[in-house]
Amino acid sequence: MSAMRDELLQRAHDAVAMAQAAGADDVVASAGWGRSLEFAWRDDKVEKVQENTSKAIRVALYVDGKFSSHGTNDLAPERLRHFIGQAVELTRALEPDPYRLITPSELYEGRSDVDLDLVDKDLTADAEGAMTRDERLDWIRRLHDAAHADDCVISSTSGMMDSHGISARVSSNGFAGDMERTSVWFGAECTIQDGEKRPEAYRWVGGLHRDGLQTPEEVGAECLRRALTRRGQHKVTSRKATMVVDPEAGAGLIGRIFGALSAGSIQQKRSFLAGKLGERIGSEGLTLIDDPFIVRGMGSRWWDGEGIASKRMPVVENGVLSNYYVDTYYGRKLGWEPTTGGASNIVFAHGDKDKTGITKDVGDGIYVTSWLGGNANSTTGDYSFGIRGHLIENGELGEPISEMNVTGNYLDLLTKLTMVGNDPVPWSAFRCPTLVFEGIDFSGL
Amino acid sequence: MNDTTSAVDDVRADLDWFGVDSAQIARVLAEALSHGGDYADLYFQHARDNSIVLEDGIISRASSSVDQGVGIRVLVGDQTGYAYSEDLSLAAMRGAARTAASIARGSREAPPQDLTPTGHRDLYSIHRGWDDVAVAEKLPLLQRTEALARAADEHVVKVSISWADSEEHVLIANSDGALIADRRPMSRLWCSVTAIKDGETQSNSWNLAGRRGIDWYDDERLQELATKAVARTMILFDAKRPPAGELPVVLAAGASGILLHEAIGHGMEADFNRKGTSIYATMLDQKVAEDFVTIVDSALHPNERGALNVDDEGNATERTVLVENGVMRSYLHDRISAKHYGVEPTGSGRRESFRHSPLPRMRCTYMENGPHTREEIIESVDFGIVAETFTNGQVQIGAGDFTFYIKNGWLIEKGKLTAPIKDVNIIGNGPEALRRITMVAGDSKLDTGGWTCGKEGQSVPVSQGMPTCLVSSLTVGGENA
Repeated sequence: MSAMRDELLQRAHDAVAMAQAAGADDVVASAGWGRSLEFAWRDDKVEKVQENTSKAIRVALYVDGKFSSHGTNDLAPERLRHFIGQAVELTRALEPDPYRLITPSELYEGRSDVDLDLVDKDLTADAEGAMTRDERLDWIRRLHDAAHADDCVISSTSGMMDSHGISARVSSNGFAGDMERTSVWFGAECTIQDGEKRPEAYRWVGGLHRDGLQTPEEVGAECLRRALTRRGQHKVTSRKATMVVDPEAGAGLIGRIFGALSAGSIQQKRSFLAGKLGERIGSEGLTLIDDPFIVRGMGSRWWDGEGIASKRMPVVENGVLSNYYVDTYYGRKLGWEPTTGGASNIVFAHGDKDKTGITKDVGDGIYVTSWLGGNANSTTGDYSFGIRGHLIENGELGEPISEMNVTGNYLDLLTKLTMVGNDPVPWSAFRCPTLVFEGIDFSGL
Repeated sequence: MNDTTSAVDDVRADLDWFGVDSAQIARVLAEALSHGGDYADLYFQHARDNSIVLEDGIISRASSSVDQGVGIRVLVGDQTGYAYSEDLSLAAMRGAARTAASIARGSREAPPQDLTPTGHRDLYSIHRGWDDVAVAEKLPLLQRTEALARAADEHVVKVSISWADSEEHVLIANSDGALIADRRPMSRLWCSVTAIKDGETQSNSWNLAGRRGIDWYDDERLQELATKAVARTMILFDAKRPPAGELPVVLAAGASGILLHEAIGHGMEADFNRKGTSIYATMLDQKVAEDFVTIVDSALHPNERGALNVDDEGNATERTVLVENGVMRSYLHDRISAKHYGVEPTGSGRRESFRHSPLPRMRCTYMENGPHTREEIIESVDFGIVAETFTNGQVQIGAGDFTFYIKNGWLIEKGKLTAPIKDVNIIGNGPEALRRITMVAGDSKLDTGGWTCGKEGQSVPVSQGMPTCLVSSLTVGGENA
């Protein structure tokens, strides 16, 4: 797709020139193109087919010390020129902000050129060997059949989505770059009859490439297995207990602390992790590394949203907070050197057991398979989440539990991490393994 | 309702806006049905969104976006073919129509459609559309709100104000021959506050939202917004977590409609019921709650976020009674489910944008007034909580378990409010919670805040409301003694 990359780079260059002609002092323009295909199968037939292509341009404008950003998918040259001209005028009506400057060009330097292998050619538009429509429909029918293979299944829906996108970024102070990536996701949901209740479960897997993923039969069977384990779910009493968090649920719990690690939340005094750089915030076993260079990683990248050249960055090392996410704007406000504005891939330091081994070691407790609502307060660290999961009895997963909350504060929770598994979720940018926390407050009956 | 003359004018104006004509639309519809689909529709949308942020005392950033295109849908029974085009040329639209048409595997010669401009309700026309309001007119709203919030309490250390407005032009054409234009404004003003007191930091926020014009944001409303945002922050310094476990929960009038949204609203969306995946799939016409419980989902509240003149499939909107005097009456239908059940659509077919096909969705969900008073409800509780403000909720459609997160509330001891509470999740089961609504007061109101509902990756604006009511038992997140 080098023709498309060239076209998008040219569009971004043109947009920078249009904004400068309209009076902008500095400009960052991004041009994007994306294509996606979506297929769903339900019960005995195709449920949905969808196919889309989209294009858009965004510009960030620095005019007379003032700042704004604008996007449009109406790309006809004269209308785009008018849109950008209006955007520059709008920016003039704002107030000057001395901290808002284009990313300094030094931060673009040192960009890695490591091959991240972000494109699966079989998922690009017209590649030879790309899956045909009939092959995709057959794939999701097999998924569906595996997820529906029990008499108690009321309905099951399977699906497959793949996308291919290219973006190009150009700035008035010398940045130019483009990124291309593909992704594919497939999976199933099923609902079973269980008395008056109809518990549901799902299983989706994905990646930037299709090879290495499970077969439709494996994914469908796992979906059905999960639904069947929900039979007879009931409430249990409130308790303090050891909590084992499934790798797929880990991002929903630990991912929440990243909001409080941003310079923006610290400068706006909305971070429970403010003032803790270099301090212990969690137990020894907590090590989180931001790694932008994982081959085929969902969050892999050569530069961040501001164009800052990516670097591997320790965030928490053996429980000690080693870096915040500092963008150029809030960095200037705080007088801090910028690092990067947001997470790429997050990698944990691993233990030596998977979830089964860990469950056996824990003996008694509560196993969380997923969260049900809830929220966290990034200013204070207070959290309260609903859970879906199982009792752990004698080292095995026991009965499924319903209507239970887990409640506490992150500053306490992170110190209660006692074990980390070796089984991270491969298809998430947040590569969380099984986690164990001791002495957690559960509320139920 | 608009009269026919204005429907013709509205449609003509939107055809001009999109640069298409009815002959082109008829050809695209014919192309969409060329493989033998039962039905096709086109959803033209042009959305302009603007936002402004005031932080640390200055207007620090603004943004705008334009998103336009046409979504083309073909139905064969309950099967959907869908494609969109951002390019509104006839060739590009016909290409997308052929993609959508491929859900059907036959072929036929579909005649060009006769299209008739069709009128609809008028629930949110505003004096000046947002396309005509300059950014300089909006800035004083943010600056005034910020000044009011800073002045409200000496412990306030940070105030950030955000503004969002949008104006959507929508034109819907379908193979039943309807051609409908709608113009949909939306706006929201958000005040976030951080305060520090005795070395402790707390933050909270409040917002005003609706299909409103700039005149609605008068000084009295800005005062109320700033005062509430600060008061809701300051009370957190005294707030505790309640004890863990099952407790009676008094839902305060207004935003507590989040319980209805999660506990019953989603489960009554007919797509989940025709598929058999909702816990309510076999409960129509059954007694599910006390006689004094009537729950409604209506598109007809003027200028509310959930107000809709016409749904996104072109169906007339209405007030749909979900539960009437304790008896389950109707699901929320889109075109597919209405056909499946052999009923009229309820005007609930909604979509996030032209990039998405419609689904049955809620609009304004609320409970009608009941026979009790707020005072007698609180007095009846020996030990429990009041839930006042919320951040979010979720539901499992089939198992029926739902949750919502309480930001502010009160502990009730021996019939009296004794201490503020904060940051706890509540969890319950839909049908059980309905059975446990034991008292309902006469003070029903819609919340003025801006709620957004997510389903299958699509977000749509909604409203919710509630009278004060008592749920005799729900599981409250909290600390074990």
